[in-house]
Amino acid sequence: MDIFIQLIYSGIALGMIYGVIAFGYQLTFATSSTLNFGQGEALMLGAMVGLTLSNLGVNYWLIIPIVCIFGLVQGSVVEYFGVRPAIKIKSEFGWIMSTIALGVIFRNLAENIWGRGTYRFQGPVADEPLKIFGANILPMEILVVIGAVAMMLMVEIFNRKSIYGKAVIATANDRDASGLMGINTSLVITFSYALSSLTACFAGVLIAPLTLAGASAGGSLGLKAFAVAIVGGLSSGFGIIVGGIILGISETLTGFYISTGYKDVPSLIILLIVLSIKPSGLFGKTTIKKV
Amino acid sequence: MKSKYLFITIGIILLSIFPIFIHNEYYVHMVERILIYSILLFGLDIVVGYTGQVSLGHAGLFGIGAYVAGILYFKLGAPFIVIVPLAIIIACIFGLILALPALKVLGPYMAMVTLAFGTIIQILINEMTFLTEGPLGIKLLKPVIFGFQTQTIHYFWIVLSLSILSLIVVNRILKSRLGRAFEALRDSPVACDCMGVSVYKYKVYAFVISAGFAGLSGCLYAFSEQYISPNTYSFELTVLFLLAIIMGGRKTRLGAFIGAAIIIILPQLLSDVYLFRNVATVLAAIIIVGAVILVSKKLSTFKKVFVPIASVISLVVFSYIIKSIGDWRLTIFGCMILLVVYYLQDGIVGFSRNFYISIFSSKNKSRDDVELSKLSNEDAILYAKNSSTSKILLNLKSVLMQFGGLKALNDVDLIVKKGTIHGLIGPNGSGKSTLINVLTGIYVPTSGNVEFSDKSIVGQTSAKIALSGIARTFQNVQLFSEMTAIENIMVALNHTYKSNLLEIALNLPRFKKEEVNAKQRAYSLLKFVGLNELANEEARNLPYGKQRLLEIARALALDPNLLLLDEPAAGLTAPDIKELLKIISRIKEHGITIILIEHHMEVVMAISDTISVLDFGQKIAEGKPKEVQANKKVIEAYLGAETA
Repeated sequence: MDIFIQLIYSGIALGMIYGVIAFGYQLTFATSSTLNFGQGEALMLGAMVGLTLSNLGVNYWLIIPIVCIFGLVQGSVVEYFGVRPAIKIKSEFGWIMSTIALGVIFRNLAENIWGRGTYRFQGPVADEPLKIFGANILPMEILVVIGAVAMMLMVEIFNRKSIYGKAVIATANDRDASGLMGINTSLVITFSYALSSLTACFAGVLIAPLTLAGASAGGSLGLKAFAVAIVGGLSSGFGIIVGGIILGISETLTGFYISTGYKDVPSLIILLIVLSIKPSGLFGKTTIKKV
Repeated sequence: MKSKYLFITIGIILLSIFPIFIHNEYYVHMVERILIYSILLFGLDIVVGYTGQVSLGHAGLFGIGAYVAGILYFKLGAPFIVIVPLAIIIACIFGLILALPALKVLGPYMAMVTLAFGTIIQILINEMTFLTEGPLGIKLLKPVIFGFQTQTIHYFWIVLSLSILSLIVVNRILKSRLGRAFEALRDSPVACDCMGVSVYKYKVYAFVISAGFAGLSGCLYAFSEQYISPNTYSFELTVLFLLAIIMGGRKTRLGAFIGAAIIIILPQLLSDVYLFRNVATVLAAIIIVGAVILVSKKLSTFKKVFVPIASVISLVVFSYIIKSIGDWRLTIFGCMILLVVYYLQDGIVGFSRNFYISIFSSKNKSRDDVELSKLSNEDAILYAKNSSTSKILLNLKSVLMQFGGLKALNDVDLIVKKGTIHGLIGPNGSGKSTLINVLTGIYVPTSGNVEFSDKSIVGQTSAKIALSGIARTFQNVQLFSEMTAIENIMVALNHTYKSNLLEIALNLPRFKKEEVNAKQRAYSLLKFVGLNELANEEARNLPYGKQRLLEIARALALDPNLLLLDEPAAGLTAPDIKELLKIISRIKEHGITIILIEHHMEVVMAISDTISVLDFGQKIAEGKPKEVQANKKVIEAYLGAETA
């Protein structure tokens, strides 16, 4: 039973990370109806950059803002090279392929810079587990949950309170109208990509002390986070937290009780089932197509 | 056209005799792999090129084909001729399992779902060791056929003949009604559904057929490599397949072949850094020379060619910096995808074709016209079927259509009598088009009932309603823009076909006959609306007025009992409108009931038998044209009430 509760704890921590990445998907989808298929790679880069800084002796709490700035730059690069030309020629195929291509390039770059191995990332808190309800929980897991929620809250507050954030929301509601009101919508889209990569890189630094950091870690994380975004709905903030926790727990349970090899399978199957029953996600609104 | 077949024949002959003269097994094997990948790409092109979907699951399907072969061979010792069809069928089944949920969603979702599928397949292959031997992999020998142990060269011929067979089958499928449906659903899904061609169903067909080719390809791959292991069928392979299809060129078989050659030969080139440096330099030279020609001939601007030139120059620099090329393989493929997506959208084949046309600008348009005009000129429109004795064709009972708080249709009752022209007017936003969308199943009404020929059609799919005899045109033209006028109509004639996939693949007599009949029908329908001269023109190139007429002809191809015309006169010139009036009354003569939405009052008043007026989603008046014109409420709705 203790083990079960312990698995639930780590499932929640994992799920919150998926939630943060899924949140990143939501940001760009809202402003431009596009997604970064290389979102997982952004997370991986965040972790690897953080690791390098950590090896140079930089304090963990100082690493976070630096990695966030790196994320802003990385997201802008993705938007500039991968998404902007596709939006210009209105090609859905274009941005899907180019963000995939950029993801592949980033992964390959990381492999060449940091090698193919996986590395331990020292977290800021003690490694000794705490006892809560009789089960072990790592302090880092608590930090992950707090960090993830704080990140999402901060972006939400920024969007709702600041004038720049309002431009983001306006663009999300109606891109053409916002453009006519003098909002530089292409800048807003770049910004949403920058923000989206920032959250992913931040998530990378959060999760790396729990798992291991490595160049190939991104792909499956990005995909599972997408499953979360779909299960929760691409328009629901609450949905991704619930979706993240469901998938995170299903993953840790499968990994322990069945086999670690199969741990990715339940989330992907949940994704397929949700899509075939309710394509707009469990918490998403059904949109009405117009003719 | 003849020279094309000549080229293909020469190509095939060269390919089949080449292993006799070149004994190096390495090269034979390389060409064999190109052929095997081509088979998969033929299939992938159906999904990517024709239906316009992105599939990231084809490496998984390819893996299924390979592992069906591996498992049947290794565990059961099944013979090759049993394995091949089974690999195709099992891949089709998996394709179906994937397609059913995946194709309910659009674009990016679809891509992610197929990616999830591919990932699951790879995990399963890795983990189900009792079946697949897991990471150890499976070893195979070249197949034994009827007791004869084949050698490398024999197997090459088997692969060659199967790829030629695939080429023929794919070509037939894509030229048939299936191919037309695939293109139509990409150009305008809504119109496709409303022409009785269910978008969902045909997307699933496309995917399953495509999966079959992936399965065949995977099975041949297993016997060609003689060793299979899970790592092959990764995300990387999927990305390579997509690169091949867009680089070679979508919607051409030659493109698939060229794409396959590129993704097979390129890694070999990339294994040698010196060779790579030379290739990069030559490539840079070609692109720079090409760009200089384009700029000097004013076909392009310096700004446009700047990015490709900068990227090839940086490629050359890059090639001299790095020491080992193998590690950078994926970066190079990634850059190639970016380049192709934005600068070579039509692929190599499409680019060469456009280049050829722009240089020689040969116009060989009217090739089929002569042949078509010989076709018979029977009456194009079928008389409306009279299934019941009731005089009422359409009966709406208190229909409510609510979008959030807005009631677009509020408790509307409407009775349309058989054989009449029923005008539907009202100010903008009064709910006319919403009504049409409810009738054609695009919207499901919030409450109320719609009876057509005494049967309720509420909740039925658009395609089913269309087949039951309700055809429509669209307020903003929804043609299949990249298809010719006659093909547009033939999509709507899909319901006249009874032949199945097998008959299409084998080109059997029934299918051939149906095809000829459909073509004749389509041509005479075009003639009916006066577009026969433009039969082979792409719909997007037609002037606006003609596009509207083409929509009417296309709707008539459904053999409807009820025709819904949504502002057919909008944007037409005065002589065009006269022509339209004639067409509408001739349609009426065939017993087809018409609901006409129109803002041109002279048109509505001239030909309608009854007119209903909508305002703010409610029916405010109904009656003969004269009565409606005099109705006070109607005048108020259009001109506003007098203020007291």
